[in-house]
Amino acid sequence: MISCLWLERPAAWRPAALMLLLGLVTLPAWPLAWQAVAGSDTIELGSAFWSAMRNSLEIALSVAAIALAIGLPAGLVAALYEFPGRRLLLTAVTIPLLAPSFLWAIGWSALAGQLGPLATAWTNGPWGCCLVFLASAVPLVLWITFAATTSLTGTQVEAARMAGGERNVVRYTGRYVAVTAILASVLAGILTVSDPGPGQILGRRTAAAEVLTSFSSLHDYGLAAWQCLALTLAVLVVVAPLAILATGRLSSQILARQVSPLRRHSAGRRAPTISAAFIAIVFLLSVAPLAGLLLPLRDGVDLSRAWREVVRTGPNTLMYAVGAGVIAAGLGFLAALGVGRGPRLRAVVLGACLVLFALPPSLGALGVVQTATSAPAWLDWLTRSRLTVCVELGLRFFSIAAIIALRSWGSLSATWTQAAALHGVSTTKYLARVVVPHMFPALAAAILLIGLLATADVGSVLLLHPPGQGSLPLAIFTVMANAPESLVASLCLVYVVLAFAIVSVVWWKTGSDQL
Amino acid sequence: MRPNSVGIVTTVVLLLFAHAGCNRHRDDAAAVDSGEVVVYTSVDDVFARPICEQFERDTGIKVQLVPDTEETKSTGLLNRLIAEKDRPVCDVFWSGDPIRAAILKSKGVSAPYASPQAAELPKLYSDPEGHWTGFSCRARVIIYNRDLVPAGQEPNLVLDLVDARFKDKACLANPLFGTTSMHAAALFEKLGEVEARKFFDDFAANGGTILSANGEVRRRVANGEFAVGLADTDDYNVARQEGKPVDVVYPDANGMGTVIVPNCIVLIAGSPNAENGKRFIDYLLTPAVEQALAESEAAQMPVRNGVPVPEHVVSLDQLKPMEIDYGTLGSRLEGLTKGFLKEWVDRNSR
Repeated sequence: MISCLWLERPAAWRPAALMLLLGLVTLPAWPLAWQAVAGSDTIELGSAFWSAMRNSLEIALSVAAIALAIGLPAGLVAALYEFPGRRLLLTAVTIPLLAPSFLWAIGWSALAGQLGPLATAWTNGPWGCCLVFLASAVPLVLWITFAATTSLTGTQVEAARMAGGERNVVRYTGRYVAVTAILASVLAGILTVSDPGPGQILGRRTAAAEVLTSFSSLHDYGLAAWQCLALTLAVLVVVAPLAILATGRLSSQILARQVSPLRRHSAGRRAPTISAAFIAIVFLLSVAPLAGLLLPLRDGVDLSRAWREVVRTGPNTLMYAVGAGVIAAGLGFLAALGVGRGPRLRAVVLGACLVLFALPPSLGALGVVQTATSAPAWLDWLTRSRLTVCVELGLRFFSIAAIIALRSWGSLSATWTQAAALHGVSTTKYLARVVVPHMFPALAAAILLIGLLATADVGSVLLLHPPGQGSLPLAIFTVMANAPESLVASLCLVYVVLAFAIVSVVWWKTGSDQL
Repeated sequence: MRPNSVGIVTTVVLLLFAHAGCNRHRDDAAAVDSGEVVVYTSVDDVFARPICEQFERDTGIKVQLVPDTEETKSTGLLNRLIAEKDRPVCDVFWSGDPIRAAILKSKGVSAPYASPQAAELPKLYSDPEGHWTGFSCRARVIIYNRDLVPAGQEPNLVLDLVDARFKDKACLANPLFGTTSMHAAALFEKLGEVEARKFFDDFAANGGTILSANGEVRRRVANGEFAVGLADTDDYNVARQEGKPVDVVYPDANGMGTVIVPNCIVLIAGSPNAENGKRFIDYLLTPAVEQALAESEAAQMPVRNGVPVPEHVVSLDQLKPMEIDYGTLGSRLEGLTKGFLKEWVDRNSR
């Protein structure tokens, strides 16, 4: 029997295990990265790429800042207070996470076209891109802030309330979750860097679009891989200081055991204002672009065709979402296990997580396709199946799971392990009876969040799905080029209604407080 | 959560992954035993799927269709095909244009196949070595918004897009992608390097806008954001069917001619179901499919003579097709996308 105390002790195996884990997470990107490094003497990325990179970073920083400004207070208020329409509004604000960003870009573009040249001029460019990216960035920051806030105990919040009323509660919790919210917003900003869609449709040159051009127009994998590496390096330079600063704060926020969960109070006379603010967020981020997408429904609805697509692709969409979530959460748990309580390792892993997000998904997906091609046929169950899609999406969104798991691990009390070791509890038993149950809500949140993000992925699914096993967003994408606008609008309508229903059911079944 | 729950969750997850992983084996087995054919296509899903479903009904062979997104939206199927070259999943690639087919040939991804149906088709639209065979086609057209272009002011030539009357009102899709890239290569072939460069530079100087794709050109000309744009006949037809205020010009009818974009069908080298793939190719090259594509929303023009077409579909003999060597267009385009066109797009995008 192995004592569970090793879970707490610093040891030489931890860095090695983490290196191995990060190696595994980046494995899909290796084939093309290696080709790039080994196959070229000198690479000229060109001034166009660097100016596109500057555009990308400007958009990423703007999105991160605005998402923080909206998502932090919204997540805080949603976790602390009851207000009219709270559940409905939180469900509505989550919907954009489920849809590919390209859909919102087309929605905004269509809406602007109806509103006139001024609206078109405003949406075509960096602000339009920011608006589109904010649709998923705000809920991301909101929910991570929400999760961080609910990890406070009821007694802590009550103590703050007694000491200085609601203002003190907001100040105290705001300060507590600020670092996590900043990290979430940086994560949201970095996610924009590898997404070429909105920039393409709204006429803003971005680094991700340059990478796409290298892949799809120039068919120059070497150049594309170098551009991906340059993109990753740029993100590393930006986030490294932040990762180091943030982890210091995070590691100091290790909490005592939850003895009384946080209970929400009525927002009182501020409730209408809060509801109105949420309605404004939902309108700006979801309703407005959705209106643009659904405008063609005026000419007719083709629900039967849309429903056929849902039936054809629904099970796979669900499988990819759940599979990706479970894989990412499992790897995130392993990362937390490997980090333990070492602040330095925590900083390294956190920094790596942020940087990983900058890797464009096509780099990993094409690497998997190449590996599958040279692998023997008996490995097809792993390299050319729906499992492959789950694994690739899980690896892509590993960062989110790792950050959530790191935080959850940090809230485990070290004394629990010591007590268990003192009583001769085995590692297996301790993990099964204490650690996993304690971390389960956080891991469930990670699975849900990653499931939502994975559902919206189109690029990886297109390159990796086995024939006949596409997802619903992919189906929408492949018909939208030349299908009648009413069909595309009907598909979008069905998709949004389903997304709303799924989020509502998950919310209802799990109980929002658990998340 | 109790330990029992941990066990149940673990079991469910393992079963899910086993199902996800095993499925591919079943697909592979099914493909060989019960007659399947895997078709990747860059043709729009709404046009390709009905044809594949008819093939299934006629032959009993199941078609696993993998449609593409527009090139500008994701790293598409062509890259997947190239990456899968040594052990392909795909049997047949149904390309919406000859450029992708030519790229596959140059990368050694395609295999020659002389379909018996190809004997009736014009040789002009096919690879002389049989790596790709052209059939139903689209044309590159100018679409214009009737509300913004007064009668008598319609453009007649591609070069009219740089005319002062369309200042700030013309658009085209990114010429690094799709049929617009083929159109650009064709212009360079017909006009020559100097004139073609001048056209693109004048277009930018005249306030012309680069959009992400032909679908965007259609949508934004239709809703009045732009007066004129370069697109494909199927884009125009969709807008026409939706009752948008757009009209079409088949440009350069009295000059260099209109660019014709045939569909091309490609057999993939070393494909797992080559025989089914050949049957699919034979089927696609029949007059019935050309007629079906003409009658569909794609409104494609048959390249065969004598195939009946609906009234709204212009037949090839009513046009003056631009004389292009489709076989060499791919290599010309490769030079352009790495040279002038890339620089031009970089210079004129924000």
